[in-house]
This record gives sequence, structure tokens and C-alpha cells, in this order.
Amino acid sequence: MMKRIGAYLLCMLCYNSITAQTGYSNFAQQSNRINALAKANPQWVKVKSITKTTGGKDIWQITIGSGNTESKPAIAVVGGVEGNMPLSSELAIGFAENLLQGINSDSIKNLLNKTTFYIFPNMSPDAMEQYFASLRYERQGNATSTDDDRDGKSNEDGYDDLDGNNKITWMRVESPIGTYRVHPNDPRVLIKADASKGEKGTYLVFTEGKDNDKDGNFNEDAEGGVWFNKNLTFKHPSFSQGSGEYPASENETRALLDELFDRFNVYAVISFSSNNNLSTPLSFNPQAATAPVLAGWLMPDTKVNSMVSDLYNKTVGLKDAPASSANGGDLLSWGYYHYGRFSFSTPGWWVPKTKPDTAKNEKAFTVEDATANYLRWASQQNIGNVFTEWKTIQHPDFPNQKVEVGGVDPFVMQTPPFSLVPDLVKKHSAFIVKLAAAQPEIDIINVQTEKLANGLTRITLDVINKAALPSHSKLGERSYWVKRINVKVNNSSSQSIISGKKIQLLNALEGYSSKQLTWLIKGTGKVTIEAGSPTTGTKTIEVTL
Amino acid sequence: MKLHIKQFIASAAFSVSALLATAQNADQIFKAAGSPANPKVTVSWNRYYDHAGITEICKKIAAAHPELAKLQSIGKSYKGRDIWCLTITDFKKGNPDQKPGMYIDGNIHSNEVQGAEFSLYTAWYLTETFKDTRFIKELLADKVFYIVPTINPDGRDSYFHEPNTGSTPRSGVIPVDNDRDGLTDEDGYDDLDKDNEILLMRRKSATGRYRVDPSDPRRMIQVGPDEKGDYELLGLEGKDDDGDGVVNEDGYTFQYDPNRDWGWGWQPNYIQNGAYKYPFSLPESRAVMDFVMKHPNIAGAQSYHNAGGMILRGPGDPTDQVTYNPQDIQVYDIIARKGEELIPGYRYLIVHKDLYAAYGGELDWFYGGRGIYTYSNELWTPYLMFNKDATRNPQDNSNFQFDSYLLFKDAFVDWHEYDHPQYGKIEIGGFKKNFGRAHPGFLLESDAHRNMAFTIYHAYHTPLLNVDTVTEKDLGNGLKEVTAVISNSRIMPTHSSHDLKFKIERPDYISISGVKAVAGMVVENADLNITTEQATNPERIEVANIPGLSTVTVRWVVQGSGKYTISVDSKKGGVAKK
Repeated sequence: MMKRIGAYLLCMLCYNSITAQTGYSNFAQQSNRINALAKANPQWVKVKSITKTTGGKDIWQITIGSGNTESKPAIAVVGGVEGNMPLSSELAIGFAENLLQGINSDSIKNLLNKTTFYIFPNMSPDAMEQYFASLRYERQGNATSTDDDRDGKSNEDGYDDLDGNNKITWMRVESPIGTYRVHPNDPRVLIKADASKGEKGTYLVFTEGKDNDKDGNFNEDAEGGVWFNKNLTFKHPSFSQGSGEYPASENETRALLDELFDRFNVYAVISFSSNNNLSTPLSFNPQAATAPVLAGWLMPDTKVNSMVSDLYNKTVGLKDAPASSANGGDLLSWGYYHYGRFSFSTPGWWVPKTKPDTAKNEKAFTVEDATANYLRWASQQNIGNVFTEWKTIQHPDFPNQKVEVGGVDPFVMQTPPFSLVPDLVKKHSAFIVKLAAAQPEIDIINVQTEKLANGLTRITLDVINKAALPSHSKLGERSYWVKRINVKVNNSSSQSIISGKKIQLLNALEGYSSKQLTWLIKGTGKVTIEAGSPTTGTKTIEVTL
Repeated sequence: MKLHIKQFIASAAFSVSALLATAQNADQIFKAAGSPANPKVTVSWNRYYDHAGITEICKKIAAAHPELAKLQSIGKSYKGRDIWCLTITDFKKGNPDQKPGMYIDGNIHSNEVQGAEFSLYTAWYLTETFKDTRFIKELLADKVFYIVPTINPDGRDSYFHEPNTGSTPRSGVIPVDNDRDGLTDEDGYDDLDKDNEILLMRRKSATGRYRVDPSDPRRMIQVGPDEKGDYELLGLEGKDDDGDGVVNEDGYTFQYDPNRDWGWGWQPNYIQNGAYKYPFSLPESRAVMDFVMKHPNIAGAQSYHNAGGMILRGPGDPTDQVTYNPQDIQVYDIIARKGEELIPGYRYLIVHKDLYAAYGGELDWFYGGRGIYTYSNELWTPYLMFNKDATRNPQDNSNFQFDSYLLFKDAFVDWHEYDHPQYGKIEIGGFKKNFGRAHPGFLLESDAHRNMAFTIYHAYHTPLLNVDTVTEKDLGNGLKEVTAVISNSRIMPTHSSHDLKFKIERPDYISISGVKAVAGMVVENADLNITTEQATNPERIEVANIPGLSTVTVRWVVQGSGKYTISVDSKKGGVAKK
């Protein structure tokens, strides 16, 4: 009971402090912010829980739009794709908050009259709580109990906070057969020794912990769980840690997929994850794109990726993104290959490349290393408390060896100081709004009628996509979860269609492209012709015969 | 749960009284070899049963044999029908969940109906012959059968009760917008002549390429390049319901394929026609998956399809050769070759190679996802008509001959005139939906028996573990060495080779209790004394696998005298102790 009151008070506090948010939001705070949006903007925002995780946490869906939201082309925005990236949820919720802060402006009203946004701020709420827990470590697994090392026992060898600092960092063990050596420019950092270059290692490196089950491995089966970004269906990495016993095994995975499969109006999925095809677009790989089991974006779709990536880089202005590749079971790949929509993902932030500060007598690195770069950047930005100094401990599994615990702290390398977050939210929101401005839109132009003879009329017109983005991805043309452009002639019983189809389905219309159609109709009076699909909106015209 | 028990008692009471009325007088009967002479549950095996019929038979079997059969619903179909599972074993001997399990289902494709009768026959036969047949008695002491007659009850009833062809519907009944025009099921078949059959349409035509076969007026034959025909074929019974210029393009009969909904090598519908949203996105396959996940003792599995007379193994995915590794293929081959002997006319084939590429099929998930040796049988083959192989010769009219001389023309609807709104004067006729893929009545029981015999052979060869010999050697200082040989006397290992590769199932445990184990080890070679010690928990030695027709030897150094017990505990191999 006391606990509940405590939680309630805490919620009240965070509710009151929305405008002066000072740090990343935990799940309760996220939930409050999300529900506060719906409360403050009932005509624009609907919030629902699409499921609960095994940990009992709601997966929230925020729908932002106006009127019949399902009849408007839509963008899905997904955060918490990986549980160790709290920034991703801030970007997703922040986007929603940003939009609604501007709700009195004509530009946002016009946007929401044309576009619907489905926002799923956190797909990994069970894992993300570890960021706020008393023992902090980077976790991606949800609360489902898993046997990560597949030995018949679950969660029998988790991390151990050996130095008692409430964080799981690293341990290094001095060893003549070590595989790591000290970084030549920063002695705090360990790098792989390359035996082929004659380098000799001096340390074995492990994550912080004991071999609790005495199987010779450290921390190989910690608490949790299934990783959302490994549980989806494209190239599901079956039987690897965190993938789940089969694809889409988790409530949250299925709930998202079920929800999106019903939303035929979604033309793009934007997710915040370690996968990145926004800084650098995916290139066309003809072999993969023509394989029986398709594994590469189709040529026209890679062109769209280039265009959108350009838009992203110009709007967000982040440079030197680290290379990334989707490893299967991930949302970025699912959005394209199995959902058939344009799918884009970005981490939203990464450590900038540093230059040596000559005033501090720093020299250029002789060995490039992400951790060394991060520590230099953090020190130049006066960001403290990101590194645990190496400290010798007595380790029961290494009775006569020197074991030290320390190293770079969890989360810090993909989680910017919170002071940077508002600007990141602003820039990413601007990007999504610009992408929405390029959304496919159907129009009917160049309508011509020719009277041939005796009540026989030929109608000719162009169905066009007057926007930069295609009506559908090229791949979407093949999927029955993507609706085609449907062109219908509504004629009365006294009018008959002599040539041309009453109903016809068109393939994807590329950006700024058209398709000419023609009919011969017998009769007099008016017919209406409508063309559209859920991702393009529908246009109806009236033609006098 | 309580409610269920009550229901069972009620139905048991009901069927016992019904039995008294219908059972034959034992004096009037002379037993035919290999069949139950006076079964407690009488079932006619020369006809088909809809879901209600299957439900009743399942309940009767469970009520008549409470110590051999238990009935449970493993889930509901899309329309809310129960998916029944009969657990068949000797419940008085051992824990059923710890016996090696054989899973059998049928009817995943709606029109492929006889798998349900074949499965039910198996449950019926095992329970009815248990009393008199020593082999079955021993089998049910060691093994457990999980029998799910239909995993697609909506589709099954739809096939029987709605107008259809022998090939429709293949899918379940969740509506899908197949032509992606925003409307669902707006243009399916039309039973124009209202006889609950979807037949062929033909029309007289001066330019037609067909004519009536002079030897059998029911049969249409294609004319040669220099001949003139007088009929054209217009496809299956239907019309253009939605005015889009296409006939029968979005009906309920092919929404999706339930056998493309499984979690191994699953591919989306643009690669694998018929795939639904994601693996196990259909309630029926999800129910089966949940059941299998909860029963890691299932070591062998069988799914029944039709038609063609095949015993199929995976892979369905041509790029998935690596999963079916040589050691496991040996096991597959031995069992399936026996199947070819037991079921004349059936051939042992590989899905992707001999049939077609099929991603996300049930048999691939059972094996790839769970390491279970699994076959799909394509039931019924034209071979069974005259006990000779059918030909591809266009002159071969054995279907018509068979129908004429053995079914007395019951399988064909004669051509009759119809006034079609789009085609004008046409004729409708053709084989009924119960012919061509489903067995004719008189051949149903015998083929069910043969296919059952194949699954029994499969079940028999799931692992059978035994603690064979235990030897002792005094080491002095109050220590002694205990060496135990554990045997597996059947073909299947406790872990398929694919299972071992991904550690799908936990290791087998061989334990000693009653004495203190100071050390424990696996003996690699007893003669040369090569051992591998297990440093932690020596009293419970973990072995990755107990191979088929082979042994594993373990050894402990123990302290103390007194009696001790050695036991083996394997998820798929069962338990044994000494």
C-alpha cells in the first residue's frame, strides 16, 4: 500500500514537471506523458494499450490525426526497439509532444488533416527499466524467462556487481594468454590484440560477474528474456540468445504486427534502433534482390531510401554514423521485407568523432577505437561519471590471478546526456514532418470527354501521384497486405461501359508519375470515377457524358 | 476443469447405456485377424464425419476407455470450434508426460479430410485392441500418442457443408482480400445448380478444343491439332459476381494456406503463396504449437494430407538442405522405407525436391524448430483403384472406369443444362467433391489401417531407455567405482542431430541417489579407460545424447555402502531406473 502511494506521489511529481523534464523517463513516467497527451488533446490524440508484456507493462499506441484516421496515409513511429536505448523512446514520445505543442499552428493542423501518425514509444519496457533499476546494466530481454545458453536451466548465471557500484561494467584478468591489450593512447581502454600483427595480449576480458553455475562461462544466462529486435520474422535468428523459441513469440511482437497489418494506410515505418539506413541508404544488391528468398531492397526502393536519407541528413545534421547492419529478426527489415512498406531506422544519436584537443596536449589516436573516442569526447564535453576506474578485486573463479573491475559504464555510449535530447527530438520531429510532406497523393487530371456518336462517350484521364514518394514500395506491389490503387467507375443502370473496366487495380505509381486510362461509355448524364488506395488517399471526379 | 470432469462423467454414462443397446452379441462374432472383434465403441469406417461427428466419436472413445484415453481441447478455431486431442497411453503405467510421445494430426487443409478419420481410426484401434494384443499393450506402456484428428475444424465443416470442389477450400475461413481491391470474398464460386458441388462448366462452341469421349459420354477429351472440337470448357462453376471482368477471383476457398504458417523458414506471401501474417498467426496452428511446446516428450510426429500416395519428409525449403543432416536422414530413411512396404502405392519423397518448394510448413517446424522426426503422408493414390500405377496417358480413363464398375457412377454428376448470366446456355457436370482426393468408402478402412501401422512403427522406434548393467569396483579407503551402462534399444536417438546442433532440448540426466557421489564421469571407452569428468554436480551426469541402438556408459566414485538407485531422465527418451 505504501509503495502504491509512493508511486502515485512520484507520478504526480512527474506529471507536474513535464515541461521541465530533466532526465530520461522510466516506464511510469513515459505512461504519464503518453496519457497526458490524450487528455490534453482529445480531438487529435487517442491512446490505447495494444498488449501487456510478460512483465505486465503496457505497450502503448498513440494515434495522432484527425477525423477518420484510418482513411489517411500514415507513418508508424517506433521506439524502444532495443531495451538498452532509452533515447529511442524519448524521440518517439518527444515527436508526439512536439507535434501537439504546435497544434494551434495551421501547418500542424494541415498536416494532421492529411496524415495519421501511429506512435509506439516503447516496445521493450521490461528491459528498459534496467536503466532506472538499482543495478544498472544494458538489457534487451523482456521479462519472459529464457534459457539463454540452452542447458536446461533458466537465468542461472546472471551478472554480479563485484565492486558494489550498482553498475555492471567489465572485468579484466591478467593472463599470459590474454586476448586484449591496453590502448596505446588511453591506458583505461582495452583493445583486441591482433596476433597476426605480432601483438601480444595481456588481459582476458569478461562482463562483470561470477561463473555462478560453474560451467566455465560468465553471465551467459542472465535474467531475461526475449529481445524485441531479434524476435521478428525476417531471418529470425532461431536459437540464438534473445531471439525467442520461434518468430514473433512475444506478446509485444505479435500485438505490434497484428496492429500494423490491420493499418493498410501505413506507407512508412520509422524506428529508432541501432540499425541505420537513414545516415547511409541501403545500396542495391542485384543478387540479393533477385534471390528466391528476397534479401535485398528492390532498385526503385533503394532510390527512395537515398532520397529519404538525404532528407534525414540535411534535417538532422548528424555526421560520421558508425556502420550498422541488421542481423535478422529486426524491425527495420520486417518493415520492408514482410510488411512491404518503406522502412527507415536510425539510432538518433551516436558519439561524434573527436579531434585531439591540442590545448590539453592530446594527440591523434594511433589506433581508432570507439571507447577511446567516446572517453575523449566525454572529457572534452565535461561529462563525468561515465567510466569506472579499474580496481583490483578478489574473484572466486580466479583465486590466484589479478582481477580488476572497471571500464566504460553501461548505456553511456548510445545514450547522450539528457541536455542533448530536446534538440535531438526537435530535429527528428522536423525530419518526420518533412517526410510526411512528401507522402504519396493521388489526383485525377487531364480529364477529356469525346462524344463519338449516339450517346457514346470516350473518357480519357490521367491518374497521377503528385508527390515525391511512390504510392507503395515496389516490393509492396507483391504483398497481399498492401492494397492496390483501385479505380472504379460508378455508372447508373441506364449507362453501360462498352470498353474499359468498371473496376481496375493499378500497381504502384512512382513519385511524380501517371497512368492514363480510357473508357467508352454509352448513355447520358453523369458518372463518377474514383481512384485511390489507403496509402494515397482517394480522389473522386464527376464526368458529364 | 471441474466442469470438464462433470461433462465426461455425463457423457460416459450416456455412451455406456448406448453401448448396451448397440453392442453385438459376442457369440455371433468370429474374430478377423488384427481387428478388434467386439469393440466397445462401434464406428463405421467407410464414411466421413464432420466436426460434430468427430467430437462425438472422440468423446465415446474417452468414455469407453478411461484408463487408455483422455480427451482435451487444445484450443479453439477461428470460428470457436474445439480442436480435440486424444491422449492415448496406458495411464496406469508411468507418467504420460514422461513417455516418448507420438503426435498425429490430420486435415490441416480443409479439403484433405480423411486424415481425421485415419487419426481417429488409430485412437480407436489402439484402445480397442489393447486388451487382446500384447504388442499394443507394451507399446502403450512405453509410449504416449497425442492424436488430433482435425486441426482445421472450420475448414473441414466448410468443405462438407458448403458447395465445393474436391480441392476446395484448402484454407481456413478467416476472410482475406486476395485480389487486394479492398473487398473480401466478393467473387467466389457460385453453386449455380444448387447441388452443394462446384463442378465444371462447358459450352457448345464451333471453335472449341474439346469433344465428348465416344467411349464415355461423361468425359471431355481434348482434340488433336488437326481435329475439330465442339465444346469449350469455361472453368469451375461460377460467375463474375463483382463485375470486374474476372470470374471466381476472390472467394473464401483460398484465403491462405494453414500449412505455410509455421515458424521454421517461414516466408511472406509474395515468396510463399498462402502465408498469413507471421508464423502461428492462425489460431489453429498456434494451438498446435502451444501444445507441442508444452510436450517436449514428443519425439515423432505425423501429419495427414491428401493426395498422391506419398510419405514426405522435409525440407520444404530448397535452401534448407543443411537442416536435414545425414545422421537424421538415416533415421528418416529407415522408418519411411518400412512405410513404403506397409502402404502399397505410397512412395517416400522429399517435399522441395519431389513435390514443390514450400516454406513455413508444419513438418519443417516440427523438425527444424523442435527436432522431432516428422512425416506428412499424402493419402489416397489412384494406384488403389486397380492396384496398379496410374498413367499420365490422356487416354487413361481409369477414374471413369473405377466410378462405373466399382462405385456404380455414384461419384459423377451428369452434364445438365444451365442458363448462365454471362455465358448464356452452358452445361454443368463433373466429378463430385468426394471423389479424386478423398478415399471411396470401401477403401477407407484398409488404407487407414496401413497408414496407422506406419505411425505405430514410427512410435515404436522413439527411444526406449534402460539401465542395463551396473558394475562395482572397490577402490579402497571406503570408495568404490560404480559403472552403469544405459541403453537405447530403438532407432531414434534421444536428440536428433539437428536438436544437438542447436541444443533444442536439454541434455539427458543420468543420476545416482542413495550414496554420496564424490566424482562423476562419462566413460568414452570402457576398455581403454577413457573418461570425461563432470566437475560439478557429479551425482547427476549430463549427457548430450543417447544414440539409437546404442549405449552410453557413466561412472561414479561413491562413498558409503547401502543401496543406491541409478536413473535416467530424458525429455524425448523417457525415464528408467534400476
